[in-house]
Amino acid sequence: MKHMLTAVLSAAFLAAAASPGSAAGGDVFEAKGCVACHYTDGPAREKTIDDQLAKKGPELWYAGSKFQKDWLAGWLADPKPIRPMKFNSLTEENPGDHPKLDGADVAAVTDFLMTLTTDEVEAGKVKPKKNPKGRQIFIKKMPCSGCHQYVGRKKKISGGRSGPSLVEAGLRLNPDWILAYLQKPKVFKPVKMMPVFTGLLSDKDMTNVARHVASFKPKK
Amino acid sequence: MKKLMTIATFAAFVFLLTLAPATASETEKVFKFYCAQCHGLTGKGDGPNVTKDFPVSPRNFTNAAEMNKLSDADLKNVILDGGPSVSKSPMMPPWGKTLTAEQVDGLIRHLRTLCQCEGKQG
Repeated sequence: MKHMLTAVLSAAFLAAAASPGSAAGGDVFEAKGCVACHYTDGPAREKTIDDQLAKKGPELWYAGSKFQKDWLAGWLADPKPIRPMKFNSLTEENPGDHPKLDGADVAAVTDFLMTLTTDEVEAGKVKPKKNPKGRQIFIKKMPCSGCHQYVGRKKKISGGRSGPSLVEAGLRLNPDWILAYLQKPKVFKPVKMMPVFTGLLSDKDMTNVARHVASFKPKK
Repeated sequence: MKKLMTIATFAAFVFLLTLAPATASETEKVFKFYCAQCHGLTGKGDGPNVTKDFPVSPRNFTNAAEMNKLSDADLKNVILDGGPSVSKSPMMPPWGKTLTAEQVDGLIRHLRTLCQCEGKQG
């Protein structure tokens, strides 16, 4: 009986130690009021344009599958605008007023958000690499660059402003999530300003685009 | 019986009246959500994506002279299949997998309202 009790207590300790920050991070997330703008329980809730426009910030129920952990921690500590325009607005610039988190809270909330994963993203499908076919699709064949900023020739930031910037997206986004986002338009954001490309781009071409976008990193 | 018919006809008329503006406002919402990114909220081709680097000038839907050159079928083609389907820029996306048939028809009516024109017939 004593052995059994010891084993149970050890297992409980190990489980708690495995993700020390995630439970606390959830509390911080709530206490800081993040829930006022971001929901963290999937699946996606939006069914109409009104549903989407009612949101104050992006849904985060798949944050752990979407973001790269190092980038997320850095961003929570020093949040710089990702979208040129204010969320859900075509007339107001992004004011860049996202709240910052301090040291211990950053680690806790990062751990919490990284636990929010989904099976809809298959790991190991996309290897970030310069991809001429993906580049052609991104800037010429399809209108991606019409709405998303990227670093063009001579390191000049080019592209449209209605979508999230993809400058340095290779540091921010999980390459496999980029592909899943293209392949499963109804799963992550059922109602969005971006066109649906399933049936227009093959899986292979979507992979090319995902590889290209995942290669957007600062030049060394 | 005649009185009943009158009431029923009046009720149907009132119902249709309430339906029509709702459809128009729903279409305007669709336009502002998807199209205004490039074409602007009032359709003048001045959405937030149109910076000085934007490779083309999105269509100004309030330009009746230009819009009259296009038939409703032309508009439908370009909405569904994108700019390249009518030898225009790929910056105009293909919305065929995104919008419903009703939304596309509504948008065409909305564009005709913006240009105050009927477009090329046939």
